[in-house]
Formats: sequence, structure tokens, C-alpha cells
Amino acid sequence: MTGKVTMGGSLGKSLLSILAGLLVAGIIMQVSGYNPWQAFSALWQGATGLHTGTAAPNDLSLGAGKFAIHLNRYNLAQSLSKMTPLLLCGLSVGLGLRAGLFNIGAQGQMLAGALAGGCVGFIGAPNGTFPMVLHIPLVLIAGAVGGAIWGAIPGIMKAARGVHEVISTIMLNFIAINLATYLVTHNLKDPTPGKMAAQTAPIAKSAWLAPLVPGANLTAGLAVALIAAIAITFLFRRAALGYEIRAVGLGADAARTNGIAVEKTVIRTMAMAGALAGIAGAIEVMAIHHRFMPSVSANYGFDAIAVALLGGLNGGITLAAFFFGALASGANFMQLQTQVPESIAGIVQAIVILFIGIRTFKPKQSVLVAALLDDERRLDDEPF
Amino acid sequence: MSYAVGTLQLNNPDTALIRMENITKRFPGVVANKGVHLYVQPGTFHAVIGENGAGKSTLLNILYGRYPQDVGRVWIAGEEVTDLLHSPADAIKRGIGLVSQHYALIPALSLIENVMLGAEHALPGGFLARKRAEARALELSEQLGLGNLPFSARADQLSVAAQQKVEILKALYRGAKILLLDEPTATLAPQEADALFALLQTLTAQGATIVFVTHKLREVEAYSHAVTILRAGRNVGDFITAETQRDFLLQRMIGTRSGTPLNTRTDLTGAIASDSTYPMIGESPFNAPFVPQPPTSSPLFQIENVTILNTRRAAAVLDINLSIRIGEIVGIAGVDGSGQRELSEAIIGTRRIASGKLFLSGRELTRHNVRQRQKLGVASIPEDRHKNALILDFDLAENFLLGHERDHSWGGGRLINRPRILGIVDEIIRRYDVRVGHHGAPTLAQNLSGGNQQKLVVARAIESQPRLLVASQPTRGLDVNASEFVYRTLQGAKERGLGVLLFSLDLEEILRLSDRVAVMFNGRIVGVLPRGEATAERIGALMTGADSALTLPQGGQLP
Repeated sequence: MTGKVTMGGSLGKSLLSILAGLLVAGIIMQVSGYNPWQAFSALWQGATGLHTGTAAPNDLSLGAGKFAIHLNRYNLAQSLSKMTPLLLCGLSVGLGLRAGLFNIGAQGQMLAGALAGGCVGFIGAPNGTFPMVLHIPLVLIAGAVGGAIWGAIPGIMKAARGVHEVISTIMLNFIAINLATYLVTHNLKDPTPGKMAAQTAPIAKSAWLAPLVPGANLTAGLAVALIAAIAITFLFRRAALGYEIRAVGLGADAARTNGIAVEKTVIRTMAMAGALAGIAGAIEVMAIHHRFMPSVSANYGFDAIAVALLGGLNGGITLAAFFFGALASGANFMQLQTQVPESIAGIVQAIVILFIGIRTFKPKQSVLVAALLDDERRLDDEPF
Repeated sequence: MSYAVGTLQLNNPDTALIRMENITKRFPGVVANKGVHLYVQPGTFHAVIGENGAGKSTLLNILYGRYPQDVGRVWIAGEEVTDLLHSPADAIKRGIGLVSQHYALIPALSLIENVMLGAEHALPGGFLARKRAEARALELSEQLGLGNLPFSARADQLSVAAQQKVEILKALYRGAKILLLDEPTATLAPQEADALFALLQTLTAQGATIVFVTHKLREVEAYSHAVTILRAGRNVGDFITAETQRDFLLQRMIGTRSGTPLNTRTDLTGAIASDSTYPMIGESPFNAPFVPQPPTSSPLFQIENVTILNTRRAAAVLDINLSIRIGEIVGIAGVDGSGQRELSEAIIGTRRIASGKLFLSGRELTRHNVRQRQKLGVASIPEDRHKNALILDFDLAENFLLGHERDHSWGGGRLINRPRILGIVDEIIRRYDVRVGHHGAPTLAQNLSGGNQQKLVVARAIESQPRLLVASQPTRGLDVNASEFVYRTLQGAKERGLGVLLFSLDLEEILRLSDRVAVMFNGRIVGVLPRGEATAERIGALMTGADSALTLPQGGQLP
């Protein structure tokens, strides 16, 4: 392992990074001849659903007249639906980072989970033989298992032969994507005559997650992601396993010398990370596509790296996932409204991560000054 | 130029080659130097002594341009350079060279490439002037009588002593007239240390000025012209060595704390004062009272025909037999790299044994993992405190839990009981006198001094109530007081019936504590001496392979 990946930071540092990202985006828009204020206004409205002006029929409104604030539930729901896989995959990457592992493979793990979940989802298609309350959890479990297997492979490779996880997870991403493409054009292709698309047949209706806001993609999958976030926080606050993972991440040699099974912990961590991404895949299948296809994972597994780096761990990943989810969905809305290309969101994301990568914004001097008073006292207390 | 006693004007700032005044340097958590002055006269051999954490290394690093001082002024050869030393490059330009505790050689580069590094000349076309560099390095090494250094060998193939020679050569190659050495003998065998000092004396005779940091008073007494003592970041005296005595220097160095008479390191008789500050194991809040066991002759731990391979699959330890009895300290002496590290790792369980067996109380544990051995009663004080013993980013409570995170009596288990651990560790901090400042158990381990870190490591090992304690270099880098603490603890552990395996490069330590001394050379045990027969001379002869009665395979390679 070479060097540690800087992960998260103070809230202030994260906010500063985000501001820097938005500032650069604003400058690019200005230079390209767009009106950044209009664009940001549309971005905000698309991201949060909050707007002033005329309320649409389905909006929730606060206040009245000129000062009324309206909430477009569809826009907010779209942001939250993008947040769901980002949060799960962000937790996946973040979990790995805690053990000192840079899991670049959330993308492949998510696909593996989607495939496994999809297979279980087919049971009883088109309408399903199981009741929904049974079928949906089964698909989630299948997704977790699929992702866990895909995650455990680089874990085992690292533990047994020291293969660096960055290399192996990237390679496994390629394998997952190409395997998925092969399957949906061959063995698992939708057999319906006339259907040419590279995708499977729909899964059973009993495994469909219903939208919470009509027309939007938001489902109870978000609750699953939030529960996972709470579970991970608990893991690191209270559980011995979380302690062992941190020990391996911060001092593998000391952990080994003191009897922690480092290799086993690495495999476990990677399997758990894979399971989280796999659940994201299963949710995307059940909530949005209702079938398996290679594009199920979109770019979530890679964007999740940004989420984990911005978020750190303690609750920060949830906020970061919301931020990037809202940014993506807001940018979509912005393009419709103002013709500013939505790829500007990608620029914001990249700038934010570049700034997070700067280890500290504070000049060295201030650290020393902060420690100064404290030390004077301690030195003078020493009995000479 | 060398000085006769009386002609050395110790603190004359006008004649001083190095003049540092009122130096103050703070780090987060410590004030390393507080208003320190240092005057080094040209051509002298100047020792800077002090306990660990006294600020010796910091002072050298300021002079070498590695750290900027917060307050204070520096002159070199009469010229003020206070604001001119921004980096080691600036210091090198002014003729200063530093050989630090951790050698800065690049393992994969050849010796000559290491010597040239940073001072290389290019031929037209960007090619390295390797021949020229080699000629110059050879000339320098001949001047110094360094012998035939293998200039084309890779740096990682050199012994520790040879690496140090290369570091010195590196400094001189860059034209250093002032040589700073930070604890140069910490990793050397006695004979190698003597050779080093002979070399340094040659250098001073040729006009170089040497400042060396140490806490070994014997070296100060034997070789230095002048000595500066630092204590807790302050200069507490400059002396002409010939006019002082060891006891006086020691007193100055450690100060008089709490009025208890000190057991000094200079006492080689092995008499340990039964000091009341030894932490009693039985008082532990979460362990059952310990029943003291009388020393017996029954074997506790046996090593039978053990062979261990190193990472290059050569034999690092070859066919070793040794047994440790209940209530016995067995010291393992040897030059660094004789197989001690591999043997200690194999006993703890982090290194695989190629052949042979280990028994604890008759029970074989050759194939047991670390955790299983811990449960059977093997505990360790690992050699590298920062790498293997502690996690510096963990706080004291988390570090104390390391290895016991699944143990309910320690506050571990599937769910960790943090309040319970904090309670236990606060108690440990009190009983073992770990100085942590006002935050207590939640203090990060990296904010403790080395001695206090080691106290926590020792406490963790002792409190697990082991039967066998493997202590590797347990006082390395510790000051006198912290070392005394470790000695008392090991002695106390022995009196309570533990078997202790003490790996140490410090012969004084071995002689003082051990009931028997086993000497390793080239991966073999070349002699086991009972206390009465173990003398520094005999051990020294054995550990360098000078004992002609033994014929050994070269390099410990497997036949």
C-alpha cells in the first residue's frame, strides 16, 4: 500500500471545496456566453425542487403571495432517486477506505448485484408467484450476495497474493461490464419476438418497487440506503469488526502483531463493500429499469468515489450522496431550462474532488499557534 | 587541529564555528527547544546529550535546515545565517552534513549512485559522470581509511554499519566540514561503534568539526572534547568533557526527580532495587489476583530445531534449540540482523516456521496463529513501537484494546464497550504512570513521548497475564527513567513466574537482566552462557563470530 487516500475532512473544508467547484463552473458558463445566475437558479430548482414564482398544480407551498416558496416534488424525488445508488456505492467505497483499500470496483460490484438480483427477480415473471413483501427482500439479498462475491474476489487476491486492489477492481469492472453485455445479447436476451434491445425481459411485477412520487424514480430503495448508512456508522462506532477494519487501515502491521487476522479482515471488508454496491444494483433493477441491462449501473460506481472522498464517514457520505445526486438531477433540469449543457455537473464534481485532495487549507503556522498555549502549560507542569 | 585541555574556550561566541542562540522550537503538543544555545568550536568533537525528548534531534535538524526555528539566531563561521537556512540544501552549501538515525539511502540504487545523489554532475548529453564520482568517492574513502566499499552494490545489500559509512561519505562528498550525527551508535555492535569513533577521530584530526547526539555517556567520556546537556528542551550546561565525570553528567541529564535514588545504567552488577513504583499485576481492576510463583527448573517454553526463512527464502534462523524456564529471563544477544527479528516474529506468530517446533508448557503451538498464542499466554513488546506495537492514529484506549477487541473483560466483544475501556485505561495510565496530559485515555498515541508510548505497550502485554513475554528491544530510544521502568517491569514479571525472552542489541541491558544469555550469529545460536559466565567480552566475541571453535555456513544459507 502506498500512501493514504485523503478522505473527507472538516465540514468547512468540504463546503469550501464545493464552493470552489461552483465558482469554477460559474466562470466557465460566463466565458461560454451563458448567464451563470440563471443557470444556477435553474440548477438549484432542479436539484431541490424549491422555487418561487408560480406554483405548479402538484407543488407543496409555504407562505402565500410574493414570498411563497413552492416545492416541486418531482424534482426533489429525482434528486433523491439518484442519491440512492450514490449513497450505497459511496458507502461501499468509504468502507474500503477505512480498511486502507481503494475500492474502484463499485461499478462492477453494482452490476454483479443487479444481475444476481435480476435473476431472482425473474422468478414467476411476468406477475410473480411470491408476495411482494417476500420477493423484494429476496432480490435485495441476491443483489448483496452477487456484489459480495464480486467484491470478495479482489479481497482474496490481495490477501493471498498481494495483488493491489486498485488494479484488480478496475479489471473486474471490465469483466463485469463485458459479461453483462454478453449475457443480455445472448443467453439472457429478452426472447420477445421483435425486441432488439440489449436487455433482459422484465422481472416479475412482484419485485417492482413502486414510485413514491408519481412519474418519478424515487422508491423505498432510499430507505434501504439510509438504513445501510446508519448500519455502517454503527459498525465503526460500536462493533469489534469496525474496530478491526480501522486497525487494519491505520496500522496493518500493528494489527497483525496483535493478533488481528489482517487478511481475513481485508476479504471481509471487500465482500461487505461489494454487498453494498450490489444492493444498489438490485434497487436500480427493481425501481427503475425492471429488467437487467448493462447500463443499470450508469456511472454510479465511479461517481461514488467522489461521494466517499467528499463525505468521509460519519454521516458525511449521506450528505455527499445527496449533494452529487441533486447536482446531477439539477443539471438535467438546468439543461432543459437554460440550454447550459448538463456536463457542467461533471466539471463541478471533478473540481470538488481536486480541492478535497488538498490536504489542508490552513497554513502551517496556525497549527503551531493553536498548540502553543496548551504546551506552555504542560511544559511548566513538568517536575524537574 | 585538536585541543589540549584548558585551551578550549567553550562558550566563546566569537571563536565558535557553530553559534546558536536562544533557539525555541514548538511542535503541536511539545516545546522541543526552549531558549537553547549551542557553541561548537572549530575542530572539536562536541557531544549533545539528554534523555529522549530533550530536544537534541530538533536542535540538529534546525541547524541542518530541516525545521525553521520559531525564535533564535544562528551563525556559522561568524556569518549570521538565521534566515538563510531554509532547507538541507542551504545547510549543505554551508558545509554542514547530517547523518540521521534513520539512514536515507535509497535501497534500489547502487552505493555510488547514493553517494552522488543530489550532487551529481552531468556529462554532455545528460549522462551521469559516474566514473568521476567513483574516483572522488574512492579518494575520500581512502583518506578516511574506510576500506574497500563495494561501490556498485545495491544499498540494501549493505550491513547497517556499512550504510552508516556511506552516509558519512555522502556528507563529505558534498564538501561537509561540519558533520552532525544523530545517535550514530544506536544500531551498531560495540566493535562497530569503536570503529566508527576511530573514523570520526580521524576526521577531527583532519580539521572537521563533529557534533553528535547520544545518550550513551561512555561515548561522551571516551571521545568528545566538549559536551552540552539538554533537559526538557533547555540547555542545562556546557562542559569540557575532561573536566567532568559520568555521574555528574548523568545527574544533570536526568535532573533529580521525586528524590528517589536512581538505578543508573552504569550499574552493571544486575542489582535491581525493589522499587515500590513497579505496577502490581494483581491490582488490575479486571483481572483476578495473581498468585506469585516460585522460580522452578521446569521448562516453560521450548524451541526445537527451528528453522525460519526470510522473505528471500534464505534461512534467517537455522536449526535453533532453546528453552526458557518459569521465572527466568533469557537474553538473546547478537549483532543486528543475526536472525533475532525473525525468531521473535516466529514466536509471536507473525512469521511462519519452515521446520522445527515450538512448545509452551508442553503444548505445541508451531502452527497456531497470533490470536491463539495470545490466548495460551504469549505476549509481546514488539521491536518497532510505531509500526508493530501501536497505531499512532488511535487513541490510548483504542491502542490498549488492540489484540483484545473481542475480549469481554477488556471491554471488547462483538460490540465494544467504550466507557468500560476508558475506565480501564484511565486506571492503567495512573498505575503505570503514563504521562498523557489532561485529556487522558482519549489522547492519540502519536502525541505521547516514546517512553510513555512504551509504558502503554508494556502495560498491555503485562495486563494480559501472559506466561511468556517476548520483549524485543524494549528500551530502544527510551531515556534513562523510562528504561528503568521497563527493567523493573521485566524483573517483576520474572519474579511472578513469567518466562521472559529478551531480544536486545544493548549488551548492558542483556547483562543486567538476563539469567542466561544466548548469543546469535548468522542465524544460529552460537553459545548459551549462564549469568556468571556472561561477560561483555565473551558475548562480544561470540556475536561477531570471532569464536574460532565454531565453523559456520556463510550467510546462514540452507545447505
